[in-house]
Amino acid sequence: MAEAVFLIDHEEKLAKHFAALRPKVLRSPAEVREAFETHWRRALWIAPAASSMQRLLAASLQGSRKGDQRLLVLGRIEGARRELLHALFRFVVAREEGVKLLPPDEIAEVLASPQRDDLFIGGAVDAADRVLVLYRGNLESLVVPLAWFARPGGPRAEIDDFEVTDFGQTVRLGPFEAAADAILYEFDVEARRRAKQRSIEKDASFGGALRRLRLQRGLRREDFDGISAKEIARIERGEVAKPHADTLATLAARFGVKPEEIETF
Amino acid sequence: MAFSLPLLQPWDSQGWKVKIRDRERLEPPHVTVLHRSRAWRWNLRTGGFMDADPPPGDVAREVVAVLVENLARLRAEWDAMYPSNPVTPREADDG
Repeated sequence: MAEAVFLIDHEEKLAKHFAALRPKVLRSPAEVREAFETHWRRALWIAPAASSMQRLLAASLQGSRKGDQRLLVLGRIEGARRELLHALFRFVVAREEGVKLLPPDEIAEVLASPQRDDLFIGGAVDAADRVLVLYRGNLESLVVPLAWFARPGGPRAEIDDFEVTDFGQTVRLGPFEAAADAILYEFDVEARRRAKQRSIEKDASFGGALRRLRLQRGLRREDFDGISAKEIARIERGEVAKPHADTLATLAARFGVKPEEIETF
Repeated sequence: MAFSLPLLQPWDSQGWKVKIRDRERLEPPHVTVLHRSRAWRWNLRTGGFMDADPPPGDVAREVVAVLVENLARLRAEWDAMYPSNPVTPREADDG
């Protein structure tokens, strides 16, 4: 982990959970203030509960410089304090209303993982907007349409029974389970690039990407108006050096992506 | 419903899991071996690990043996869940 990690208020059990992150435990307002001043560019802050927030708030309000400060609150925060924290920190994850987080020991392991950007620590269902907001191990969020959580013949995704499980590797909605890497592969181009770099099989061709994307979307070669199945097969086999711009536009429109995004799959 | 292959002790209690979930990356067909915050994709067509990182050698040998023993069952489970992208590609899909 590149940034400094600070744990507010020493709790024996909590410090044990987060030991792998080698956090500096801050016990006094003066220590918090000094940490803010010294590490204003970037730091990860972990606070066990709202009660420990007072000294953190006091220190952060006094600081004039705003860097990449990220805050994880394991307890609940509500009302005006919630708004204040979101104003002061670049990213805030807390047990706000509707937010479900992994247990502390699993959060700690995710935060310490080299793959933390590609794991989730929790999230919340926004039923009104039909989206799921997921929080990654770097505390950044990812918004996924609830409609994505479906499989022909599969169980119904139950939005009232949501949790992130398997140390951030599975998103469960009732009996429906989705792989974190599948979510990221679909919705985050950088995560997709990282996943492709890890792959032993290096088929970096446009045809390979087209085939993966087509199968990912459950489409047949016959499902592209204006392009024959034979032509799709030729492109996938690499027999077409560079598909025509019109062909690319048709493919992209069918997939709902930009033409230049196809080869990232 | 996601598929989870039962594992014997001590692998189960150590947190090893083998899953095919309801939404996976589809190509190629695979199962995922999960252990705490790490995961390995295992190709159902070739019977080999798909990613260099994390190192496939970190997967318990006994867990890999369970995958091999249950290959037919795992392929059947995948095909039932993802009939549009079966382990054995349809002739038409081979182009």
